[in-house]
Formats: sequence, C-alpha cells, structure tokens
Amino acid sequence: MTRKHDDRRTFLKGVGGAATAVGLAGCAGLGGGSERDYFKLGAVTSLSGELRFGGEVTQRGYDLWADTINEEQGGIEVGGETYEVEIEYADAQSTPSTGADAASQMINDGADAILGPYSSNVTLAVCPIMEQNSMPHISGSAESPQIWQEGFEYSFGTIPTVSIIGNEATSALLNLEPQPESVYVTAVNEPFSVATGEAMRAAAEEAGITVENYEEFPRDTDYTNVVSAAQNADPDLHLHGGHIGSHVDLVNAAEQLGYNPDGFLMHYGVNTGSYRDGAGDQGPYTFGATVWIPGVDRSGGVLFDSPQAYADASQSAYDTAPDYTQAGSTAAGIVFQEAFKELGSAPPLTQDDKDELIGILEEIEVNTFYGDVAFETEGEYYHNNINTQTLLVQLGEDGSPSIVGPEESATAEANYPVPAWDER
Amino acid sequence: MVDIGLFTQIVINGLLLGGIYVTIGVGFSLAFGVLEVVDFAVGEYVMVGAFMGAVLAPILGSEGVFVIPIVLVVFFGVGALIQPLIHHVTTGDRPHPLLMGLVFTFGLATFLRGSVLTIFGPNNQDVPSSLLTGGVTIPGIGTFPVVRTVTAVFGVTGLLVFMYYLYRTRGGMAIRAIAEDRTNARLMGININRYQSIAYGAYAALTGSAGVFIGMTFTANPGMGLQYTAFAFFMVVLAGMGYLPGVILAGIVLGLTQSFTAVYISGNLVLLVLFAIIYVVLLVSPAGILGKGEWAT
Repeated sequence: MTRKHDDRRTFLKGVGGAATAVGLAGCAGLGGGSERDYFKLGAVTSLSGELRFGGEVTQRGYDLWADTINEEQGGIEVGGETYEVEIEYADAQSTPSTGADAASQMINDGADAILGPYSSNVTLAVCPIMEQNSMPHISGSAESPQIWQEGFEYSFGTIPTVSIIGNEATSALLNLEPQPESVYVTAVNEPFSVATGEAMRAAAEEAGITVENYEEFPRDTDYTNVVSAAQNADPDLHLHGGHIGSHVDLVNAAEQLGYNPDGFLMHYGVNTGSYRDGAGDQGPYTFGATVWIPGVDRSGGVLFDSPQAYADASQSAYDTAPDYTQAGSTAAGIVFQEAFKELGSAPPLTQDDKDELIGILEEIEVNTFYGDVAFETEGEYYHNNINTQTLLVQLGEDGSPSIVGPEESATAEANYPVPAWDER
Repeated sequence: MVDIGLFTQIVINGLLLGGIYVTIGVGFSLAFGVLEVVDFAVGEYVMVGAFMGAVLAPILGSEGVFVIPIVLVVFFGVGALIQPLIHHVTTGDRPHPLLMGLVFTFGLATFLRGSVLTIFGPNNQDVPSSLLTGGVTIPGIGTFPVVRTVTAVFGVTGLLVFMYYLYRTRGGMAIRAIAEDRTNARLMGININRYQSIAYGAYAALTGSAGVFIGMTFTANPGMGLQYTAFAFFMVVLAGMGYLPGVILAGIVLGLTQSFTAVYISGNLVLLVLFAIIYVVLLVSPAGILGKGEWAT
C-alpha cells in the first residue's frame, strides 16, 4: 500500500516537473527571452494560394541572403562575435487576414525582426501588426504607395513604390522617337494595378500626351472587349497595370484582333519567366518596368560584388535567374544585417534594441548589388527606399530583357515602333 | 453616339465568347441531364486539357490543334474510368446522392488542381499554334479572331453531334431512358454502367478538348478552372438544367451580356450584371430562359 502511494507521489512529481519544464520552455519561446546565439528573423510570405509564385520569389531572395552571409562570413559580426542568421517562415496563404495572423505568430515566436510578405494587399494587413508590437519590418517586394502613405513607423521597403516606377518607366518610353501623341491606359481593378495605371496616366498627362481613355476592369474579364475599345481609340501606345496573367491575356487578345499600337508597356513582371512562358510568341517587344536586372550597371557592395555576381549566385543556388523582387528581398536582408551591426547588440534583441533599430534604419545608407538603399523619413514615401533608379526594359525576340531607358542607363536601343503582329 | 464599327465588333466578341462557353456548357449540361451529376470538376478538366496542350503541342510541331485528337481519346478513357466511381458514391443506400456527387467531384477538382500546381508550378504556360493565329477582318463588320471562331464552331458542332447521338441513335435512346428512370431502363435490359460511362467519357472528352482551345485562346494556368466551373453553372441555369439545345442561347446571352456591359457600362460591373441575370432567371423562370429544363430546386 505504502509502495503504491510512493509510486503515485513519484508519478505526480514527475508530471509536475515535466509540466513546469514545458511551461518554462513555452514562456521562453513566447517571450523570446531565452539565450540564443543566432539572429532569428521571421518571414511572412505566400507559400500557397494564387500568390505562391511571388511568395517563392521573395523566399528565394531572403534565403539567398541568409545562406550567403552564414556560409561566407559565418553570420553577422556584432561586438567581435559572429552570429548566424535563421529565417523562420509563416505562410500568408495569399490572403491579408492570414498574413496578419502569420505575422502575429512570428512575433510571438520571438523573432528579432520581420521580413515582409509578397504583395501589397498582404503587406497592408501585416504593417498594423508590426505597429502594435513595435517590431522592425522590411518589405522586399511591396510596391503600393498606400503602404507608405499610412506612415507606419516600424515598416520599411526596399522597392520604390509603383507610383514612382510606373511614372518613370512611362516617362522613359514617352521619350523614345518617334514621340507618341496619344496613349490608352488600362488597369486591373486591385490596389497595386490601379496605382500602376494611375502612375502611367499621370506621367502621360505630365508629358502633355493625350490620354484617350483610362479604364479599370476585374482580372477575369474578357480582353477582346478591352482591346476592341482601345483599338477603336487608335492610340500610339498602350499602357497597362496588372499582374502577369492579365498581360498575357491582353497581348493574346491584341494579336487575335490585330491591335497594333507602337508599343505595349506593362507592369508588373514582363521580364519574368512566367510572362515569357505564358505569352509565347506574343511576348517579344513588350516594354516593362523594373528597378533591377542582372545586366544593370550598379557598383555592388555588401555581400555581393555586382548585380551579375548576385545573378550567378541565384542561378547556382536555385537554377533560376533573379528578378527585381528577389533582388529587393535580398537587399532587405542586407539592410537588416548592416543595421544589426550598427546596433551592436547580441541576439535575442530586447524591445529597447528594436526601438533603437528603427532609428538606425531611418539613418542607414547601404551600398548593395541592388543599388544604394536609404529610406525616406517624411512625406508620402515615408520609410520607402526611392533611391533605386527605374529602368525601362524591352523583351527581345528570345524573351530576354534589355535596358532601353532612361537614356543614361540604356544598354540597348529600343525596337520602336514595335513590328505589327503579322510582321513578326 | 454609338460607333457602329465598335458595336459590331462587340457583337462578334460576345458571340465568340459565348461559343467558348458553349464548349464547356454542352458537356456539363449532358452530365447533369443524363447522369444527374453536378460536376464540380468541369473547370479542372478544362485546365488539365489546356496543360496537355501546353505539354504536347511543342512535341507535335508547336501546334495545339494536333493535340485535340489525343485529348479526346485520353479524356474519354479517363472519364469512362471515373464514371463508375461517381456512380458508386451516388447510388445505393447513401443519403443525398446529388450532394455525394458534388462532394466527390469537388475532391476530384482539388486533386487535379493541386497535382498540376505541384508538377508544373504556378506559372502561365503558352499553348502554341501556328494555324489558329490572328484574325480575319471583314470590312464594315469587324475582325473574327481565328482561334475563337474555331473554338465556337467546335462547341456548336459538339452540341449537334451529342444531340444527334442522343435523339437519333439506339445508344442515345438508351442514355435518355437511363436519365428518365434507371430502374426501368435496367429492367429493359440496358447496360446502365456502359452507357453512363460512354456519356461521362464523352463529356470529359469534349470538356478536355475545350481546354486545349481555351489554352490556345488565352493561356494555361493551374488556377483557371474555377472561373470555368462558375460559368458552366451559369450556363446550365440559363439553358435550363439538362436541356441541351438551350446551351447555345445561354452562351450567346452570357457572351453578349459580358461584352456589352464591359464596353458600354463598366468592366467592373460585368459579374454584377451576370449574377443579376442569373438571379432573375432563377426567380422568374427556374426552368431556364426557354423554360424547358428541369426546375431548379
């Protein structure tokens, strides 16, 4: 009998001890207060759902930064010690609400900082979570101007807002000879694409070009109607804001109806493999906007010596050529790396460290393969890096992009006006 | 002032868009009318057909048209194999057979979409064709995009062939008898499994082939199926559930409504107008525009 009581007591002690250990471990995880000899970054991005393609691009960008810094330098050097970087991912599932939940999860898991989601919609849902929890956050892909107009204190972005990219690319196109006299502007009705279309329209109006029409429509529209209306207006150029699928549908419908403006400018993603694969024979000669391609003349700097060195590293690691979203995501990691060095605190970061990190990010200037990164500290582009120059690219017959504008950055001459569909 | 040139072009666009919907609606209506299966996988058959076009066309001289016979045969075979499974879950002692069929095909749709996404990734894939490019312009009327015109002709031809088979052959009579009353059809000596497999196989073959045409018209993408599933439902509601001849009229109504709303009202209001039409038809004429389908319940 006594023996039985002893057994029970031993058992209860064991259970109690285990529960205490689990509880302490849990508290440590939640609070992030445990000793840790590496920097822990949370990354919220879409690894499933319709934005999976873009989500994977950002993931490659973040991973390439972390893998390179860990392998080549052993991690980030702070106060004479080197700390590796680990990135923990949470799937936003291509929806803003899930992205917000994923961000909260990353914060609860004790991340030192957050790398941002793919797509502006999800980013707009994640930024308020960062504000509530005073968590430093850099987006390597979001482009909607709305993000920066909100004035989020804890969120930064390496890619210039699309209102700048769309405007500058359009201006570069409008400078080509023969100068166009009229444009037709279309945009898919969602925040990023509308911002793109409006930026294109604004650039045309600023240049004194006639805007025949500005039209928004849902993604799944039938593009023969869009093209018929545009064809009836007979513009010199067609400018379009949307994602890759909408570009493909637009050029397919244009080919089928024989709609031949002097050129199509479309943003986002003309210089991606997805556009080339989808558009097929209709892809060549399309103009697009970007802030980075491997062939761009930038000095290089921290971690990667040049744009081409970065492209080679990406090719080697993932067997794929990087686009500017991937490059911008890697640049986001590099900016955190330099900010951590300047902060000088070993991981895990305290809340005071994180608050101090915001001040450092506001002052930081980092020279990277992607370009010089520095964040605005006031105005409508608050905390957005608008220093990286926009490039006008055009796809060649083999689908590869060449920089054709602005004039000072061009590495090739534009094929303009583009050949008619039946002359290709 | 309405521009006549634009107006006639919008009519052409609407009719040809309707033709694309007809290619999907015919098989879907057949599956519902004959097999009483509300097939949630219809859009995914379109998507898989488009991807077969994207994969096989480059092998066959970059010509998507040459893929059509292969897709017809493969999809007929696969459909004939899937049908017994659907029959199994929609008969016997199971409650709510219609719901069981819906759940089964929903699972099938999810499986197909996930499989294609895993194998090919999320990117768009071109279905090349050198035969069906450009458009034919008739002065004073407008431009007829070749690929869309051929797709519409394919859809209408498919409908006529189905109707001939159903109403002019012994096999068609057997299928109609099964649709009327399975038990009595079995008592009359009709091999139910065989004819149901033929019907579902024919539906799958037509829908998969429609996918190749749609891939040539637009592009192949793993996420494209849902849109066509929705339009297939629109088609059968407007046509009258299970009433094949109504499919053409439903396609024309959907295509023209979409085109005219997009150009003369607003592209943003297209879906709103389409849903409004569907609701009105369901309220006023539940048996479809012509009133000859089964009542929507």
